Amino acid sequence: MEDRKVRLRIYGMTCDDCVATVSRGLRNQDGVIDVKVSLKEGIAEVAVDSAKVKPEALLKNGVFTKPSHYRATLVDH
Amino acid sequence: MGEEIKQFDLIILGKGAAAFSAAIKASELSNGEMSIAMVGTGPLGGTCVNVGCVPSKYLLESSHAVFRPEHPTMPGIYETRVSHDFGEVMKGLRSYVSHAREVKYSQVIDNYTNVTLFEGLGKFIDKRIVAITGPDGKELDRVKGSNILIATGSHPTAPNIEGLHDTGFLTSDTIWELKALPRSVAIIGGGAIGLEIGQALLHFGSRVIVIEALDALLPQTEPEIGLALRSKLEKEGMQFHLRARINSVSRSRDGKSIEIITHRGKEKLEAEEILVATGRQPNTGSLNLEAAGVRTDSRGLIITSDGMATSTPGIYAAGDCVSKKMFLETLAAREGVVAVSNMFGDDMKIDYDAATWAVFTSPQVAGVGMTENEFSKKNGACSCRVFSLENLTKASIMGETEGIIKITVDPRSNRIVGMHIMAPNATDIITEGAYAVRKGYTVDDVIATSHIFPSISEGIKLAAQSFIRDISKMACCVE
Repeated sequence: MEDRKVRLRIYGMTCDDCVATVSRGLRNQDGVIDVKVSLKEGIAEVAVDSAKVKPEALLKNGVFTKPSHYRATLVDH
Repeated sequence: MGEEIKQFDLIILGKGAAAFSAAIKASELSNGEMSIAMVGTGPLGGTCVNVGCVPSKYLLESSHAVFRPEHPTMPGIYETRVSHDFGEVMKGLRSYVSHAREVKYSQVIDNYTNVTLFEGLGKFIDKRIVAITGPDGKELDRVKGSNILIATGSHPTAPNIEGLHDTGFLTSDTIWELKALPRSVAIIGGGAIGLEIGQALLHFGSRVIVIEALDALLPQTEPEIGLALRSKLEKEGMQFHLRARINSVSRSRDGKSIEIITHRGKEKLEAEEILVATGRQPNTGSLNLEAAGVRTDSRGLIITSDGMATSTPGIYAAGDCVSKKMFLETLAAREGVVAVSNMFGDDMKIDYDAATWAVFTSPQVAGVGMTENEFSKKNGACSCRVFSLENLTKASIMGETEGIIKITVDPRSNRIVGMHIMAPNATDIITEGAYAVRKGYTVDDVIATSHIFPSISEGIKLAAQSFIRDISKMACCVE
């Protein structure tokens, strides 16, 4: 397992329920090990197994695609 | 300079069509949450609204308003001299440009509180940090972005001709400041910009001479169209020197003197003013792209993927600074959307094959997709038809039959792969060709679609019908 931290800028979060929804969506993605989401900063720190998931693939997570209103971009490339 | 580096989600270098399109799309996708730094010099809106599409179309329309009553095409309608004041027309033009910039750019960006405008030249420090400098080169700010879009556009170039810079010349950046109509203008370059401005000045009453290095006008389109447009413009009085090389330019008693070399040998042309319309080059020279690892081609244009990503992850490019075949405001705007959407994880690709382009002369020229020659070279064979406007009722009524519609299809599938038009309103009706090329419609799909009779758009249906029957033996509205 190759552990890697990916930071995402999350758009569309307004409350703790949003944090929970985004966190749950990311945790359910194959290769995601841990998720920490900050509502205040709009940032998610995602620990991933880089052998299983690329940073760009996190942006295609169902929680960031229609009909969900949350969207994300990579902070670091 | 502020001590701290200002952090943004997105830095956009440029303030033109691609930049605005990208900023608006990014704001929509992020529900207005994405913090955006828009960095650039010059007026908001870039080339198109300030010195490109908008003023040139204003000039053309006003020139036609003078020219057409003086050149009626219907029996019983007599020549009417239109009194006009060119200086006032130009004042109106500048006023309209100012209005369009205000309404379409300044007021628009005011609605986006997430966008911060920085006036100054952007220069990469590394792949995430951009320094912003003022006109004196002094650093004003530093910004850092998680994603960066380069949309710095382009500027007119002038060829290295002996005496040209000392003699002085106009470009598509400077001609809009004219106060009086030049009695005569020599235009270096027979492309879209040269022909549009040339015809406008001709219609106002200037003597116009076009000097072109190639042996045809508008090489991007079908040769039949280049020939037909040249013939039409020559009838209006425009003079052409094709396959001409300019030896030198100098001042003369009455204006400016241009020595050209053609197959006839050396010739001297005299004109009051010179317009250089030989092309544009990207505004990438001062960006310090090496510091960001962004690759360019030999002309300094930024190399991107079809998703508008550059060679450096997180840095995208859009608009006239991108390495590609067509440089259009509409494409720039689309590229901006593609770039930003892909920052959000989409897999959007730019579709150059179905991009429409136009030349707003009268008659207009517009095209989409491949020419007959392009398709044949790529695939070995093609099928095409050239429809003359002489066979189109609406064009005959208007007295504007000098034009053609050419459709190229893939003979294996009958799908339309290209459409090129010279006709009144070609810029409006080419959209039918864009749908056809983008969606893979066949000529049968076009034939089966209702078109208004009599209209110029009906010409597209007739051009499609010419694949299946001899239209010279066809009554009106045969399906």
